[in-house]
Amino acid sequence: VLHTTRPLHTTQQSLAPVPPLPEKGGEVRHGLIPEEFFQFLYPKTGVTGPYMLGTGLLLYLLSKEIYVINHETVAAACILTIIIYGIKKFGADVAAFADKLNEEKMATALAMKNESIQTLQRAIEEEKKEQWRLEGRSYLFEAKRNNIAMLLEANYRERLLTVYNEVKKRLDYQVAMQTLKRQKEQDYMIQWVEKNVVQSITPQQQKESIAKCILDLKALSKSAHAAV
Amino acid sequence: MNLSFFDQFSSPSLLGIPLVLIATMFPALLLPSPSNRWIASRLSTLQLWFVNMVTKQLMLPLDKKGHKWALILTSLMIFLLLTNLLGLLPYTFTPTTQLSMNLALAFPLWFATLLVGLRNQPTISLGHLLPEGTPTPLIPALIMIETTSLLIRPLALGVRLTANLTAGHLLIQLISTATMALSSTMPAVSLLTLLVLFLLTILEVAVAMIQAYVFVLLLSLYLQENI
Repeated sequence: VLHTTRPLHTTQQSLAPVPPLPEKGGEVRHGLIPEEFFQFLYPKTGVTGPYMLGTGLLLYLLSKEIYVINHETVAAACILTIIIYGIKKFGADVAAFADKLNEEKMATALAMKNESIQTLQRAIEEEKKEQWRLEGRSYLFEAKRNNIAMLLEANYRERLLTVYNEVKKRLDYQVAMQTLKRQKEQDYMIQWVEKNVVQSITPQQQKESIAKCILDLKALSKSAHAAV
Repeated sequence: MNLSFFDQFSSPSLLGIPLVLIATMFPALLLPSPSNRWIASRLSTLQLWFVNMVTKQLMLPLDKKGHKWALILTSLMIFLLLTNLLGLLPYTFTPTTQLSMNLALAFPLWFATLLVGLRNQPTISLGHLLPEGTPTPLIPALIMIETTSLLIRPLALGVRLTANLTAGHLLIQLISTATMALSSTMPAVSLLTLLVLFLLTILEVAVAMIQAYVFVLLLSLYLQENI
């Protein structure tokens, strides 16, 4: 037997959203008496009705000594004066302080909410940028490919040059060897020829050639004398 | 009704029905009830701010184990504050003027701090009986003195609160009676007495708040020594 008769699980149970609280409290006159009381008495007694009622009640209580004036009355007057003075002086400040506390609470919560919204929006923009970057990817790869091709070409040419230089060095060596050999042969032959010639000059021939030279010189000197 | 000076201290009753329980529990009715809203009203915001401030101040010097006492100390503070302040209104009964109630509050709480100390760290608790650096011949006498001072703490707590409030209320009664009596013969002096009454009432408001605070503060100090 089911002891509960209320319907179960018919609606989505939720306490939110709660209806908003009223902005201001009920209207109150003189801090104590609600405005509705004055409105209630207005049709019959006009504006002064409640005040007359209050005064009459007070005077009735006093005159019939239903309320006896004793030392507590004086004490009551004192403490009430102090309370009313305190409320009038500090009431607005305290209310503003309470409102400030509430505002700060709301502001922190709102700030959190706004910050997360901002973060998400930034994330969306970043994503869009990434997508745009994606489109330019092909150009990037093209440029990279060109770069690499140029590098390879340059490298190839360098190596070609190296090979050429090496081969030239070897061939130059061979040429130099040959020239050196030719020169050496030439020099040797000249030396050999000179040596043989010098050897072949006999002393007789030497004397004859020297005498001939002297005669030539004399002849020349004669002609030179004549010239002078 | 013609009041004598001590009618305000008698336990209130209506047609033979004792009202003391209602009188003691009445201040709790003035506090805003917790609602399911996050920001409810100015009063509940102020109450929250006040309770947070009081609890933080009380719990600052205590370590983690002492935080168990947060609830009782804060609620004691709020209770004493409200009863003391409400007692200043005319024709009200202040429960804290009764020695029975103050001792009933002070004695168990003090005893609890003592037992906690003796149970968890007996050496340190007993060590508090001897201040550091006392010359050796004085030690026995000092132990006796410190024990007496320890055992008299609950009495001191209760009587302090009772005496302050009772004295204040009595003074207010006396001076207002004087004002009334002088008002027919010497009105000027009566006005002077009225001025004295104003100042006294302001003092009483301050005393009411301070006594509540001192009560709870001393209990938290006893707790610090022992926890």
